Amino acid sequence: MNAIEITGLTKNFGPKQALAGLDMTVPKGAIYGFLGENGSGKSTTEKILCGLVRESGGSVRIFGKPHTDSDVRSTIGVLIESPGCFPNMSVWENMMLQAANLGCEDAKREVTEVLKLVHMEGSASNKYKNCSLGMKQRIGIAMALLGDPALLVLDEPINGLDADGMRIVREVLVELAANHGVTVLVSSHILGELEKIATHYGIIRGGKMLREMSAAELDASCRTYTTLRTRDQLRAQEILAQQGKRADIDESGALRAFDTTPAEVAAWLYAQNLLVGEIAGAKISLEEYYTDLMKEGR
Amino acid sequence: MQQTTTLTFEKPSFSRRLHGMLGVDFYRLFHTPLYYIFLAVAAIIPAMILGTSGMENPQTGVAAAPLYTNVWHIIAAETPTYVVSSIAEYANMNMVFIFGGIMVSIFIGHDYKSGYVKQLFTTHPKKQDYMIAKILTCAFAMACMCLTYLLGAVAAGLLTGLSLSVDVGSLVCAILGKMIMSLGWAALYTFLNIIFRKFFGVSIASSFFFGTGLPIIAAAALLGNNAILNLFLYGSSVFACLSSGVTTLLVCLACSVVWAVIYTLLGTAILNKSDVY
Repeated sequence: MNAIEITGLTKNFGPKQALAGLDMTVPKGAIYGFLGENGSGKSTTEKILCGLVRESGGSVRIFGKPHTDSDVRSTIGVLIESPGCFPNMSVWENMMLQAANLGCEDAKREVTEVLKLVHMEGSASNKYKNCSLGMKQRIGIAMALLGDPALLVLDEPINGLDADGMRIVREVLVELAANHGVTVLVSSHILGELEKIATHYGIIRGGKMLREMSAAELDASCRTYTTLRTRDQLRAQEILAQQGKRADIDESGALRAFDTTPAEVAAWLYAQNLLVGEIAGAKISLEEYYTDLMKEGR
Repeated sequence: MQQTTTLTFEKPSFSRRLHGMLGVDFYRLFHTPLYYIFLAVAAIIPAMILGTSGMENPQTGVAAAPLYTNVWHIIAAETPTYVVSSIAEYANMNMVFIFGGIMVSIFIGHDYKSGYVKQLFTTHPKKQDYMIAKILTCAFAMACMCLTYLLGAVAAGLLTGLSLSVDVGSLVCAILGKMIMSLGWAALYTFLNIIFRKFFGVSIASSFFFGTGLPIIAAAALLGNNAILNLFLYGSSVFACLSSGVTTLLVCLACSVVWAVIYTLLGTAILNKSDVY
């Protein structure tokens, strides 16, 4: 059974079409990285999943049931844009209110536990309005974790977090997916962070799914390359071109030679009396893959 | 966090859902200054009116005719007077419903401004629960405002030395009638705030406008003091007067409950058919 199955999802806001027949499948227990440019329809999809926005057409099923069912909806934890907290109340009060809404039987224990998970237990008495952006994001994640959700929908959860905050969120999400069977749908523009935890990816553009794949499939489709620095990068590029290899100079000035190995490259350049300063094998990152994919469609 | 490898679905019962929502709303009500400010406002209104009634003009040295000779006239009119001819006939406990409307707008507006509804509607897809919880909480708050208004009126009446003579039974029925009407008014304001949930200022203005009872007063200008006006919230609120009896209470109860049900259904339908956030 998949955690989320979306078929032909459409949404129109007046004349503007936000979703144009989106298909999406999120396996149970996956950490699904949901990627797309601003305005591509990520937030709209997430809001439809959470019942905040009504779809114009298509079908949405969560754990095999229509997403409008109250029993399935009580299994969702959500953080969309920012946590919905009352600014003049303390973090603890806001958490307890959400626990009451969810009907948590042992609210105090649960709230203490989730605040501890995101390292916010020391700030529980702070007024929400006095919390920093990073703290607010962590509170939002803690709030989403209340009530033992089986599905977490997180929209930009690491926005505003410092390196330590990102690490904490990363560890929490991996732990939830691996040991508690929680499915996580997470959208983020910080692709480097997403790459560290996602087991599946969905890339959306113009309200349609552009590509959907597992982390293993992404790994297989990401090309390897050799990165190198020489005294004369243009000449090195020419030598590699003579060998029939494509080589590009990146923003940092390093040369990237594709479909070859560092040993081959070093040998070709040495034969032409060009000394290599630095050389290493590398792989295209998610960010580069995503950027290339976006460029292709333009 | 519990182990959730085997997924079980539990349909939360209506009472459990409502219990949670009411718990949150009452906690918010009692833990925000808004509620206490409006309780104080309700107490101050009659004191201000009675205190300024019959004041002497400093330029002419002539005292104006007092608006009231009996303290209880600031609670309710002697008879149901839908066609108001003076401010004294208009300014009574019904004013609580005007200020109550503003309070409800701010209370519900915060749900949307803070983004709290995102969390709420994700886990609570049944929109009628939201309507019922808000209406009950706001009705309670307005009924409490009626009581502080009563206290303010008695205190101001004692200080100004106005007559306190009244038929106690009718007075109690009038006060209870107006408190019962809080339910219907709270439902109207909740409904208006659902319609204008994305426009905070408009929701306050619309609550204020309907709270004044102007549409019914305008209708009364055409129809006269017609009992048919008791079908409406403002009409029944006026009907709860110092000549009230058990019938008045029954009329107020029927009108209030019927309108509460109508507005709950309408509000639920709007929330179900539109994007909530």
